[in-house]
Amino acid sequence: MDLIFSLIFLPVAVGLLLFLIPDKFRTVKGIIALLIIINTGLLSASIYTFGNQVLNLGEISPTLGLDISDLNISPHFLEQISFNQDSLSRLIIVFISLFAFLIALYSLVYIKEGRVRNYYPFLLITLGCAYGAVLSDNMLLFLAFWGALGLTLYKLIHGHDEESSATAKKTLILIGASDSIMILGIAIIWKMTGSLSMTETSLQATNILTVVAFFSLLIGSFTKAGAFPFHTWVPDYAQCAPASSSAYLPASLDKLLGIYFLARITTGMFKMSDWMSVLLLSIGVISIIAAVMMALVQHNYKRLLGFHAVSQVGYMILGFALGSMIGVAAGLFHMVNNAIYKSGLFLSAGSVEYRTGKEEIDDLGGLAKAMPVTFISTLIFAMSISGVPPFNGFASKWMIYQGIIDFGSGPGIASKLWVLWLALAVLGSALTLASFIKLVGGIFLSRRRPEFAKVREVPVLMWLPQAVLALICVVFGVFATGYVVPKLFMPVSGTFAFVGFWNSSLVSWLVIVSILAGIIVYLASSLKRFRTEDSFIGGEKIQDRTQYATTEFYKTFGEF
Amino acid sequence: MAASLFYFFVFPGILFAATVGALLSWFDRKISARVQFRKGPPLLQPFYDFFKLLLVKETILPKQGSPLVFLLAPVLAVFGAAMSGVFILLPLFNITTGFRGDLLVIFYLLTVPSFSYIIGALASGNPLAAVGGSREMKLILGYEVTFLLVIAGVIMKCGQHFDLNTIIQTQQDGSPFIGSVSGVILFIVAIFCVQAKLALVPFDMPEAEAEITEGIFIEYSGAAYAMIKLAKYIMFFILPAFIVALLMGGFNLHGINILWAVLKVIAVVLLLTLIKNTNPRLKIKQAIKFFMIWMNLLAVIALVLIAFGL
Repeated sequence: MDLIFSLIFLPVAVGLLLFLIPDKFRTVKGIIALLIIINTGLLSASIYTFGNQVLNLGEISPTLGLDISDLNISPHFLEQISFNQDSLSRLIIVFISLFAFLIALYSLVYIKEGRVRNYYPFLLITLGCAYGAVLSDNMLLFLAFWGALGLTLYKLIHGHDEESSATAKKTLILIGASDSIMILGIAIIWKMTGSLSMTETSLQATNILTVVAFFSLLIGSFTKAGAFPFHTWVPDYAQCAPASSSAYLPASLDKLLGIYFLARITTGMFKMSDWMSVLLLSIGVISIIAAVMMALVQHNYKRLLGFHAVSQVGYMILGFALGSMIGVAAGLFHMVNNAIYKSGLFLSAGSVEYRTGKEEIDDLGGLAKAMPVTFISTLIFAMSISGVPPFNGFASKWMIYQGIIDFGSGPGIASKLWVLWLALAVLGSALTLASFIKLVGGIFLSRRRPEFAKVREVPVLMWLPQAVLALICVVFGVFATGYVVPKLFMPVSGTFAFVGFWNSSLVSWLVIVSILAGIIVYLASSLKRFRTEDSFIGGEKIQDRTQYATTEFYKTFGEF
Repeated sequence: MAASLFYFFVFPGILFAATVGALLSWFDRKISARVQFRKGPPLLQPFYDFFKLLLVKETILPKQGSPLVFLLAPVLAVFGAAMSGVFILLPLFNITTGFRGDLLVIFYLLTVPSFSYIIGALASGNPLAAVGGSREMKLILGYEVTFLLVIAGVIMKCGQHFDLNTIIQTQQDGSPFIGSVSGVILFIVAIFCVQAKLALVPFDMPEAEAEITEGIFIEYSGAAYAMIKLAKYIMFFILPAFIVALLMGGFNLHGINILWAVLKVIAVVLLLTLIKNTNPRLKIKQAIKFFMIWMNLLAVIALVLIAFGL
């Protein structure tokens, strides 16, 4: 099974070697990193040709051509170092490769002089460690990779002033502390079962020790994914780090890994009791509402996106807390969707910042005509994240909602409160829509400021990843019920039938047909005689600075 | 595919729903006129309005903002209205095909028109439109949860089924949900939600003619505005029909029962019109408070009653 080794060691080794090349040859380093990422990405796609298996080092070493029999290592130790590839880890691996590729492509132009030192080496090391964390079955091995990711997270932020260094330190401390709490959980599991293998662990949460272990591991997963109340590093990180770093770690890889571990904890390693579901569901809805409320009042668009990165985790937690097959599939689907549109949004934010140098929504406006690709893709991401049908965010939220309704017929307290979970989840979705209308309206629509007259679209290497991500958003939404969920997510969660009715492909065709019909109506009717006029504001004279500050949109809510 | 296109464009989709909606809007205008001691427009006035905009009037595009999005928004609004209309009306007319959407889908599709108006308003670059857009969004935030609680109440009454066919069938086998205390409360709450969704007085602050001159629609003219009219006509029919389906037992299309079906819709529209004509416009803050506190409270009371089987 040399595949696992090349996936983990190739990026890490090349990453370490890249430290030797001085930062002056940034582009060279970038191209090398990109080639390695393409290589491992193709390798990782071939992982789908293997069946589910748990392998340990003793079994693997002969296939690598290594002879370790005379090294006098105890066979018990070799059995401990085990790797697991099942449908869940395969799914995560493939998406890690996808995001790494797109973001490396984007970084080639975006990462300029002085942004982050040694960006590409850390990018590659992150990739290798992420593969390692997903593939390892031994919990200590997992923790080692997991911990290394915390370090690269710290190094991918550029500590250029006091604020950003403080953010970097805060991130490192929070992630590091949560890792050490995880050691406690792993120790308890080892004490109780005598094994460090994730696949062999299956505990009923009955005594206090198991509950402590469950929560220790949960804290690790929540801190990585950025769920309430361990989320505070995410918005700070999003504000201070370069957009491509935010897109790479907090928006995509950390979500994939954190939720991957949550899936392992809740579906395999522990059997949840009723009050645990209540607790998880509460954390889920609190994450959704609290974070989105914070996002609503932000003026800095990168920070706003950071709060949404927290809020969306709530939906995934809801999915896993339900414990049903549809809940797990919905949680995973939402995780992937969120990683797609959230990293896309961060990339778009980076593009806007790249061209204008402004980070406040108030300072921007009217960029839609100047940056058409960025605008259209941002609009698609915004509609996806707010759950507008037929985009992918709607499909996964719809699955979560029907999971909640289905869950409502169950016996426990958590089931009796289904309306509460559903109402708060829907409220969160409406608030997300509001917040993104502010973002899109403030940056791209509204009136263009005179100082942005010369702003152009970003280079192709930057808009291409955004466009690809936007396309994936559309494709995943259009083929959600017929193809994406059955093919990608049902192998992980188990086969189930949808409770509700939503024919995503047919509805999407009708969207296209109605847009075509609309164009025909416009062309056939009076549009031939159109003229362009400046805004009418009730007879008043339009002045240069006449506009309505979109950041003041939701002031009424602040007054409550 | 051909059948779906027929459902979407002809019956019960755009053509049918918009025609009925236009007639209902004539009814609304006539009643309003009578309340104000005026004569009111002729029966075909809504059609004259629509075709004049579509065929005669010129279209003015905004110099600022994004004309593409500005023109696309009305199309999406019509799509959202028509699609939710198909999903509401097919079960009402007892047409069972594979082409179905559940309550969650309908709930989300019903938000698409409002969302499109806001995006279109912002794309016009007009500050007054932005004021209207901000109000519309705040109004959505106000009533969205309330509307969901109504739907959740119906789902609870139906035993965790959230498919419109089953809900109508359950009511026709038993009695309409409105026949219980909780049903009446849900009906009251639903009426106010629909009032806000249709942006009728007292919840017309996104459009407030006298204040921000039609707000979100200020820059629209010609064919684009005709499409907005179309979406509004469709919404004016399907939202009352949705209430009829959820709480009033749906339609029964045998013999004299057809008259009852028509009367049910007209009764709901009449109620909306009377509320519209007897109330002044609220401030946005008052409207949010109204939904967030009072209507949610009523809905929660209804849900508790349902849990006790009342």
